[in-house]
Amino acid sequence: MAPVTTAFTTEPDVTAPSPDTLTQRDRAIAALAAIAIGVQVLEAAIPSPVPGIKPGLANIVTLIALLTLGWRAAVAVTLIRVVGAALLLGTLLSPAFWLSLAGALAALAALGLLRPLAPRHIGALGLAIAAAMAHITGQFLLAWGVIIPHPNLPLVLPPLLLAALIAGSVTGILAAHVLADPRIQRHARLARHP
Amino acid sequence: MTFSDLRWGDGLIAALASAAVVAAFALAYLPDTKASMLVITQTGEPPRQEPLDRTREIEIQGPAGITRVQIEPGRARCADSPGTRNICENSGWLQRHGEVAVSLPNRLTLQVQGRGPGYDSLHY
Repeated sequence: MAPVTTAFTTEPDVTAPSPDTLTQRDRAIAALAAIAIGVQVLEAAIPSPVPGIKPGLANIVTLIALLTLGWRAAVAVTLIRVVGAALLLGTLLSPAFWLSLAGALAALAALGLLRPLAPRHIGALGLAIAAAMAHITGQFLLAWGVIIPHPNLPLVLPPLLLAALIAGSVTGILAAHVLADPRIQRHARLARHP
Repeated sequence: MTFSDLRWGDGLIAALASAAVVAAFALAYLPDTKASMLVITQTGEPPRQEPLDRTREIEIQGPAGITRVQIEPGRARCADSPGTRNICENSGWLQRHGEVAVSLPNRLTLQVQGRGPGYDSLHY
């Protein structure tokens, strides 16, 4: 018995949390997700002139996560943001939550497709516009296919696409400004050379 | 390298997205507002449909007199009606889906319809 236990104790314990498992990257993801949740909750408090249209400022955080930490980090930040904000706003598992999730997944898919071209060929602005258009398209398909399957619902899509184009441009410009900040640049370099 | 610089991909995506928005507006709103059928509804009568295919005139006998309806390709109007306030005539040419002219003295409505999406209102 004794040699066996010795053998176990000398091997590294993979189940226990070691200082190495919680990396600086994980902390960055958690911090970005927290910022994104805060932004989305604050944005929910701003009254919108048209229901269903909002700037989507939390997507700035997704873009920053994508361009500094990579696509997987962007997925993590976005999914934590969607669930976390839904918990705080009380919309978890409601149609608003599913629409938010569908939009987020569609946007992440678009970002995943365009990620190899960034940042050499596509900047934050292009990514933000593509993500916003994918976001509203994903939301619309869920709304039309499942929540309100009305034949005339496509008539509301063009204004929504226009709103997404404007919102994507605004968030893209804001994200580019944030990314130009030297403090973010330091993280971007750090992400490339871990 | 700074991330804030604009790349050619940004312009391409912006152009494609703008084109998609314009195309969506055109596809959703441009077609099928043209009327192709006139529906005449008169109290006590089954609704009657007249295609808006060629120029002609029809006369409808009502309790107050005769309503003269002028039909042209794609549009129709109430040319003459017994109402003294000319409400039916003042509706003008009916040429888009859903437009309607009413003659209350003759208890009739004229409504043109198209093939396209007819909606009264949008609700969220």
